[in-house]
Amino acid sequence: MDNSSHLSVVLDLSPAQWYQSPLSLDSFLAQLLVFLNAHIALKHDNSLAVFGALPDKSVMLYASSEPPMDTPATSDPNCYPPFKRLDSAVTARISEQLEDPLLDVTTPSAIVGALTKALCYINRLSVATGLVDPRILILSVSPDLSNAYIPIMNSIFSAQKLKVTIDAGQIYGPDTVFLQQAAHLTGGSYLHLTETSALLQYLIMTFLPPPSIRKVIAVPTQDKIDFRAACFCHKNIVDIGFVCSVCLSIFCQPTPVCSTCRTKFPIKTLQRLNASRPLTISSANNSARPTPVSTPRSAATAARHPPMSAESIQNGSGTSAVANGSGH
Amino acid sequence: MPSVQLNSHSENAEKKHIEHALLPFLQSQSQNTLTRLYQRPSSCLSLFRLLEPVERQIIMSLLWLESAIPQSTMNTWVNREGRKLYDEAIATLGRLNILPTNLTNKLALNTTFKMSFRQALTGGGTSGSFGVPAENDDKSPAQDLESLDSFALERWETILHYMVSSGTEQQPTKPSQGVLYLLQRSGLMSTFQGVLRITSAGFQFLLHSPHDQLWDLLLQYLHLAEERQMDLVEVLGFIFMLSTMELGKEYSTENLSGTQKAMLEDLRDYGLIWQRKPTSRRFSPTRLATTLTSASPPLPTSSGNSSGPQEGFIILETNYRVYAYTDNPLQTAVLNLFVSLKYRFPNLVVGSITRESVRKALANGITADQIISYLMSHAHPQMRKNNPLLPVTVQDQIRLWELERNRLKSQEGYLYTAFASQADYEFVLHYAKELDVVLWENASRRCFFGTLGGHANIKGFIERRAMGSNQ
Repeated sequence: MDNSSHLSVVLDLSPAQWYQSPLSLDSFLAQLLVFLNAHIALKHDNSLAVFGALPDKSVMLYASSEPPMDTPATSDPNCYPPFKRLDSAVTARISEQLEDPLLDVTTPSAIVGALTKALCYINRLSVATGLVDPRILILSVSPDLSNAYIPIMNSIFSAQKLKVTIDAGQIYGPDTVFLQQAAHLTGGSYLHLTETSALLQYLIMTFLPPPSIRKVIAVPTQDKIDFRAACFCHKNIVDIGFVCSVCLSIFCQPTPVCSTCRTKFPIKTLQRLNASRPLTISSANNSARPTPVSTPRSAATAARHPPMSAESIQNGSGTSAVANGSGH
Repeated sequence: MPSVQLNSHSENAEKKHIEHALLPFLQSQSQNTLTRLYQRPSSCLSLFRLLEPVERQIIMSLLWLESAIPQSTMNTWVNREGRKLYDEAIATLGRLNILPTNLTNKLALNTTFKMSFRQALTGGGTSGSFGVPAENDDKSPAQDLESLDSFALERWETILHYMVSSGTEQQPTKPSQGVLYLLQRSGLMSTFQGVLRITSAGFQFLLHSPHDQLWDLLLQYLHLAEERQMDLVEVLGFIFMLSTMELGKEYSTENLSGTQKAMLEDLRDYGLIWQRKPTSRRFSPTRLATTLTSASPPLPTSSGNSSGPQEGFIILETNYRVYAYTDNPLQTAVLNLFVSLKYRFPNLVVGSITRESVRKALANGITADQIISYLMSHAHPQMRKNNPLLPVTVQDQIRLWELERNRLKSQEGYLYTAFASQADYEFVLHYAKELDVVLWENASRRCFFGTLGGHANIKGFIERRAMGSNQ
């Protein structure tokens, strides 16, 4: 139970979002640094890495395994040296990154990039030293980016394989579907902050306990999880999607050929699925729907082709049911 | 299968949580002393690290709250399975005066502890409790890590080596007078015919991990400090401060109190700090000091040996042979406690575990579990591929040798004989059995053996019976 634990923190540093947020970046960082110090304080051997997600790029801000070289020559007698090093390294790197004149503040921040870097870092440490219970904490202020769905899902699967717990906190803005799913699928905790005045207390009670302690002292869990997925064709978040029965790719409308695995679907299935779609969606998307490209085939060949199945994803209920079973 | 049972038993023993040796000592201190100790941020941080994980999380959860919260609110966070652990944690914190128990049904941290620990996490303040660094001096640059390590190792091994070879013909280097006094006071060594000799507690001490040994000695030092009328808060505060210092940095002695300056000499003897000269106004903590509150090894790997003590150096085979890849005289001497050594090579010692060698160790007060745990913690990396780590036959045999010593058990009592008739005998025996004081009985000889405590009752019973039959 009393093992050292590793924490990688992914910070969303999107300037545009922080500008809108009622909590200033400065006060956020001040509380975050105390939280990071608390993690280091828990145990002498606890390790920490901090990654920053900036518009269009992600950087490693601090890693306890690679302490920054430019340490101040004289240390402060009133401060524990590792805290001092961590705090000055993180603040210096963040201001250095944000003052970059080439930074395009409107581009959404590269959370997935930072998440992937964090996973790679954990993988490297696990191979070298054998980490126990590594964790990633994502603190985000940006809304979901629907074209990040596939990379996020891939990161979640690698996290599951590495046995990494992903915790997520949405500090500003609407609930994010993807981070909720990331936390749920890796056994982590998701927190949507509506009240930013006691951020530090939220961080400490929700994200500080390592997984072994969570068996004794509980952390907030989600009672409602938004399981909606983004379609592969238009990157929209869909309530009802159509799933390729071969490769499980998700589409917002029936397609004759799966764009991922190139499976062709019989025309009859397409017609049936189109007929069964809710009227509002089908009429709205009618014009945008690509026309079937495949030429009519003989019945004999068509029978070999697997039918496409419609997947209904119920929002919030926590279950996803495939309406039509696959046909082969 | 006895072996299976024995193994599961030892695994359970390992999993059982062991409280840090310092905590019972702190719990016995007065609230006033503890509150004064908590005035220093570094003490709070170091003490915090010695606590159990659940206790640490409780402190963290309560740290930034301004007002007390009802116990029922905190209870809603606790899972049902974790209830017992949580209650224990709250009780421990109460005894340490971190969670004062004077509030009914409310939880709030000790105000002093809260202020200092907040300061430790955020930095700032003027306490200087993390050590005032010395000004850089170009003439005498700070000692490099290697020489600090070798200094600490040399000091520490001198103490252990002196202990292990006392009573033999060897004449190892004597540690300083202060160390000898401490060893004697702590009961690890005692004077026997005018010569200091190691006691059975001392033998057990030798098989502990360096980390436990260090805390054992420091705890004894604290007891000694109490008797010497030294201010305990100053002593503990200094030890805690050392544990938060940086290895390889020099610190100034100017801000230390008189007590703490006096401690410098003692701690130098134990190898916790290094000073250029006894009068020097700067000191550097060694690895022994900076790892006091961590799980990392307090001693560097010994020189000239690729597989040092931390990685393990002992290979134990199923035929009771022991191969120890070491050239360290201390390790050889410790092994000699329970292994009969056969050959010595420049980097290898070969011996075997025999009934005689283990019995000699047992006679010295070492237990079978201690031998096994020493072999486990110092097993060679090659051995770590085995599951179980040590050959089961050897483990069982060592335990059986220990059981062998416990074949005879003596108990004081009374033997009741010469009963007049079989009925008499059975009547008294029945009475004694009801009292549950019979240790042994022999019906054919009409005698039985009762415990010391039951004698008065049985005697009275027989007398009453004799009087009754006379009438």
